[in-house]
Amino acid sequence: MSIVQTVADYLPIVPKPRPKYVTENGKRVHGLIAEYDTPADVYHAAEKIRDAGYKKWDVHSPFPIHGIEEAMGVKRTILPYIVFKVGLGGAFGGWLLQYWITAVDYTGFTVQGKPYGAWEPFTMIIFELGVLHAAFAALIGMLMLNGLPRWNHPLFSSDRFLGTSQGKFMIGIEATDKSFDPEASRALLESTGGNDIEIIEDDD
Amino acid sequence: MIRIEKNYDGTVTPAPSPAKHGEGPVMTDDLYEKRLAALAANPALQGENVRLPESAGAGIRGGLAVVGVGCLALTALGAVVHSPTHALASFEVAVFTVLAICLGSLFFTMLFQAINAYWPVTFRRQLEQAAGLIWLPLLGMVAVVLIELFSSLFTGHGVLFQWLTEDPGYLLEKKSGYLNLGFLLVRFAIYAGIWLFLARSILSMSLEQDATGNRMLTRAIRRRASWGILAFALTVAFASFDFLMSLDFRFFSTMWGVYFFAGAAMSALAVTTITFSVLRLTGRLTGIVTDEHYHDLGKLLFAFGACFWAYIAFSQYFLIWYSNIPEETAYYVYRQEGGWQVLSMILVIGHFIIPFMILISRKVKRNVLLAAVMAAYLLIFQVLDLTWIIRPMAYVGVENPAGPGSWWIDVVASVGGLALFASFLMRALASAPLIPMKDPRLATTLEHKNYV
Repeated sequence: MSIVQTVADYLPIVPKPRPKYVTENGKRVHGLIAEYDTPADVYHAAEKIRDAGYKKWDVHSPFPIHGIEEAMGVKRTILPYIVFKVGLGGAFGGWLLQYWITAVDYTGFTVQGKPYGAWEPFTMIIFELGVLHAAFAALIGMLMLNGLPRWNHPLFSSDRFLGTSQGKFMIGIEATDKSFDPEASRALLESTGGNDIEIIEDDD
Repeated sequence: MIRIEKNYDGTVTPAPSPAKHGEGPVMTDDLYEKRLAALAANPALQGENVRLPESAGAGIRGGLAVVGVGCLALTALGAVVHSPTHALASFEVAVFTVLAICLGSLFFTMLFQAINAYWPVTFRRQLEQAAGLIWLPLLGMVAVVLIELFSSLFTGHGVLFQWLTEDPGYLLEKKSGYLNLGFLLVRFAIYAGIWLFLARSILSMSLEQDATGNRMLTRAIRRRASWGILAFALTVAFASFDFLMSLDFRFFSTMWGVYFFAGAAMSALAVTTITFSVLRLTGRLTGIVTDEHYHDLGKLLFAFGACFWAYIAFSQYFLIWYSNIPEETAYYVYRQEGGWQVLSMILVIGHFIIPFMILISRKVKRNVLLAAVMAAYLLIFQVLDLTWIIRPMAYVGVENPAGPGSWWIDVVASVGGLALFASFLMRALASAPLIPMKDPRLATTLEHKNYV
C-alpha cells in the first residue's frame, strides 16, 4: 500500500479509479468472501491465498489466531519509520522555532547573562516537540494505515459476515487486488475449502 | 463488607477473604513437578548446550589473568615512573568500571526476581555470577582506601581525596562531619557488607535450587531481592558520593547517584550481551537464548546505554549551567579546558547520538554479532565516562603532574581491570549450568516471543 494512495483515500475530491468489475445491479464489486468452519481451516486457506500472490485480502475471525501473520504473509508495518522521521522533523522544528526567536529575530533580551542561541535551554522544547510529533504520527499514521476512521465498510452489507464476530471464520479478497479475477479467485477460495462464497457489492 | 444471605436467619456469612500473600493457586508442587519433568525431557536443555565443561576456555582464562595482573603491575610501575596521583586515578577508573558491572548485575538480578520476570530467566545466571564477583572490585576499593589512608598518615594529605588534608578551609570544616576518614571507613564497610551479602546469598540460593529443585527458594530470593533493591539504591548512591563525587569536595549534585547507577546498569547489560553472544556463536544455548530474548535485552541496552545516560547527564549539566553557582560550575569548568573538552564532546556524541541511532534499529538488537559489537562499544564508553569523572581531578591545583607521555597508564589500568574480571567471570560461568535449570518460570521463558 503506498502512502500516496492512503492519503488520497481521505480526500473525496480525488476520484476513485474506475471499477474493473461491476455487478448486474451496476454496483462496484468490493470482493469475494468465503466461510470456514475452524481456525485451522482458515489458517491453511490463508497460506494458499498468500502463495497465490494476493495482496489485498484479509482474514476475519472472532478472536486472534496465533501465527496468522505468517500464514497471511503480512509484512512488518512501516509505521516506525514514519514515526521516527516525523519525530525528527518535530525536534528540528522545535530547535528552529527557538533559535530563530532568540538568536535571529530578536536578540535584545538577555536571560541571566546566557549567550543568545545557547542550545541548553532549547533541549526540553526540542525533546517535547519531537515526542509530540512522534506521538501524533504514531496515532494518526496507525489509523490511516488501517484505513480508519471510516463510516461504513462494504462487508457490513453481508448478513453472514456479521457471524465473524460470533464463531465464523472468513476470508475476503478485494476486487482492487491485481491478481483478482471473478472466476479464478472463486475457484481458489473453493479449492481452499471455503463454503458459501459470496460477492460483496460496494454501495458507494 | 456485609453480605445479606437469601435466607437470612440472623447470622452473617463472612465474605471469602482474599488470598493472603504466599497463598493462592500460583504454583503447586504437582505443577512444579510437571514442569520439571517437561524441562528434563527438553532436548535443548541437555549436556553442553547449557553446561560448559570445567576446562572450557582454560587457556584464554589463564591468558586473561596474566594480562590482567601484568597490566595492573604496569599501572603500579606508572606510579613510580610518572605520578602516583595519575596512576591511582587510572586504577580507580578500572576499579569503578568493574564495580559498575558487578553492581548493575546485582541490580538486574534483584529486579528480575522481585518483579517475578519471566523473559529474562535465561539471562539470570550470568547476572548472578557477575554480581557474585563483586569481591574483586571491592578488593580494589580496599586498595584505594588503604593508599589514601597511608598517604594521609605519612604525608598529611590524600592522593586523590583532597578533603584528606591538614589544612581544611572553611568549606571543608563545614563538611567535616561527613567527610572524615573514620566515617568513610565505617560507610565503606557497610556498603561492602550489604553488596557481598546480597550478591553471594542470591547466587548461592540460585545454585542450590539447581541442585535440589526446591521451588520455595525462588520465593526466598524474591523476598530478599525486594528489600535488597532499596538497600542497593541507598548504598550505591552514597558509595558514588563518597568515592567519585567527593573527589572535588566543593562540588555536589543530587543527580550523582543516579548517574553512576545509569552507567552501572548499562555496563551489566553490555557484559551480559557480550557473554551470551560468545556462547551463542560457539554453539551453546541453541534454542534457549534466542533472537527474541536478544531483542528485549537490546531494548534495555538501548534504554540504559543511550537514553537514560543522556537524560541523567544532561539533567545534571543543565541545572548547573543554568543556576551558575561557582562551586558547582567548577566541575564542568575543569572538564572544558586542558584537553578534557574533547573527551566531553566525544561522550556527548559517542555515548548518546551514535548508540541511539544504531541501537534503535530492530535488526541490530536481534543480531548476535552486532549486538555484541554495540555492547563492547558501550563498555568502552563506560570506561571513558569514568575517566572523564575521575581523571581530571588528578590535575586540579597541580602543575602537570604526569608529563605528556603518561597516557599508557590509563590504557593498561582499564585493560588490566577488565581482563582480570573477564578471567574470573569465565571461570565462574564454567563452574555451574549457564541458566537456572530448575527455575519455575523457565518453561515460559523458552517460549518467549516479541509480537512487535
